[in-house]
Amino acid sequence: MRDVLTAYPPLVRSATLVAATYRGRVALSLLTGFFPLLLMGVWLTVVAESGPPKGWTTGDFLSYYAAATLLWNLSGDHVVWQWDADMRSGDLSVRLLRPVHPFHQYATNDLGHRLVFLTVLVPALVLAALLVPGLDYPAGPVRLAAVAAALVLAYAVSLLMASTFALIGFWSTQTSNAWLLWWGLGSFASGWVAPLALMPDWLRSVAVVLPFRTAMGFPVELLMGRLDAREAAFGYAVGLGWLAAFAVLYRIIWRHGVRRYQAVAG
Amino acid sequence: MNGWSRHARVLAICWRAAVAGEVEYRFNFFSNVALSAFWMVWAAAGASVYFRFTGAVAGWTQAEVLVVIGLFFTLNGLRQALLQPNLERMTDYVRLGTLDFLLTKPFDAQLLVSLRQVRVNNLLDPVLGLALTTVGVVLSGRGVSVVALAAFGLLLGCAVLLLYALTVLLMALAVVLVAAEELGRVSYAFVELSRFPVELYRNPVQAILTVVPVAFLTTYPAAALLGRLDPYLLLIAPAVAAGAVVLASLAWRRSLRSYAGASA
Repeated sequence: MRDVLTAYPPLVRSATLVAATYRGRVALSLLTGFFPLLLMGVWLTVVAESGPPKGWTTGDFLSYYAAATLLWNLSGDHVVWQWDADMRSGDLSVRLLRPVHPFHQYATNDLGHRLVFLTVLVPALVLAALLVPGLDYPAGPVRLAAVAAALVLAYAVSLLMASTFALIGFWSTQTSNAWLLWWGLGSFASGWVAPLALMPDWLRSVAVVLPFRTAMGFPVELLMGRLDAREAAFGYAVGLGWLAAFAVLYRIIWRHGVRRYQAVAG
Repeated sequence: MNGWSRHARVLAICWRAAVAGEVEYRFNFFSNVALSAFWMVWAAAGASVYFRFTGAVAGWTQAEVLVVIGLFFTLNGLRQALLQPNLERMTDYVRLGTLDFLLTKPFDAQLLVSLRQVRVNNLLDPVLGLALTTVGVVLSGRGVSVVALAAFGLLLGCAVLLLYALTVLLMALAVVLVAAEELGRVSYAFVELSRFPVELYRNPVQAILTVVPVAFLTTYPAAALLGRLDPYLLLIAPAVAAGAVVLASLAWRRSLRSYAGASA
C-alpha cells in the first residue's frame, strides 16, 4: 500500500503534464461540456413564463447548473473507455506487467486530467458567482471545507463505480453499452436530468440512498446550502457506504475476471 | 454513362463494402439499436420533467417537443452513421498520405472523402427518430396536411444538407490542422444544440441559435409538420442550405490547394 501511495504523485503529475500539453483538446472538451446549461436554459424559460417551480428561482437554477457543470466535468467515470479500449487492444497486458495495479494506473491518469480541468473550472465558477447576479453560494469556511470533502467523495465513488463496471469487459465486449445504460438510468437519480428537488417524491426518496447522487447532486446541494446538518451527514454516510461497497465488489470481480483475461495483443 | 449515376453507383459499392464489414458483429449491432432506443426514451422522459410544472414552454406542448426530439435523433443518427465515420478518418488520410491516393481516383474527391464510409450501428437511428416524431404528431392531436408534409420533407432535406456542409467544412479544416478528432466534437455540439426547439431558450441564446443556424435543423422542420411555419422560411431554408454547401465546397478546394501531400 505504501508503494502505491508513493507512486501516486509522480503518475498524477505526468498525466497533468500530458493534459496541459494538449491544451486545445482540454478547451474543446470544456466547450462541449455545455449540455447541463441547455437543460438550464429551458428551466429559465419555465420560470419566466409560469413562475418559479417549487420555489426555484432563476438564481437557484443558475447556481445549480453552474456547479453541476463543474461536477460533470470532474467525474471519474471516463476510465470506463480507457479500460474498454485496453482490453480490446490487448494493451492491458502491458499494464499488468507494471508494478502498480491497473486500477491505479487509470486512476492517476484520470486524476491528472481532472486536476487540469479543476484549475480552469473552479476559477470560472468563482468568477461566475462574483459577476452573475442571482448566481450565489452561501459560502463560509466550514461549508467550503464540507463541499471540498463531498467533491473528493464524489470523484472517488464515480471512479470506483466506473472501474467496477469496466471489469465486465473480462466477460463481454459490451462494456461501454452496459455502462451507458447504467449511467443513463442513474442520471435520473443523480440530479443530472433535473435537480432532485423537482423530481417526483418517490424518485427522490429512492435517489438519496443510491450512489448516483453522491457523484453529482449531493455536492451541488451542499454548496447551495440546501441541506441541513442531518441531511448532510446522511449524504456522507451513503457515499462512504457505496465507496466501501464498490471497493469490495471491485476486488471480488477483479480476482475472478483477471483469470479469464486472454491477451489479444500487446 | 452520365456523372451522377456513375457517382451513385460507386458510392453504393463503397457502402456495401462498409456494411458487409460491420454486419459480422450482429450482436453488437442489436445492442447498439437497443441503446439508441433507450436514449430516445431517456430524452423523452427527461423533457417530461419540465411539463410537471407547466402545460407548454414557449408555446410548445410536451407532444410537440417530442416531435423535435424525434427529429434530433433522426439527424444525430445520420451524423453518426454517415458523416462522423468519414470525418474521423480525415486525420489519418492527411497524416498518412492516404489523401494523395484518394485524390488520384477518377471520382469527385469531396464526395469520395466525405461519403465513403458508413457506420451501420446508427443506421436505424433515423427510423427510430422518425417513429418518435410520428408519435409526437399523433399525441399533439393535429392532422397533417399534404402541404405540411411536403414542406416538412423540403426543410428536413435542407437540414441534412446543412449538416453535410458543416462536415465538409470541418474536413477542409482537418486538411489544414490535421486534427479531425477534435473537430468531430464541433459537429456533435452543433447537432446537440438542436435537441429542443430554439424557442425554448430565451434571448440572446435563441437569436444566436437562429443565426448559427441550429434552428434550421429541427425547429423549422417540426414547425412545418405541425403546420405553423412562417411560409417565407420555405424560401430561406433552401437558400441557406445551398449557400452552406457551396461555401463548404469552396473551402474544401481551397484547403486542397494548400495540401502538400504526405506519402513518399
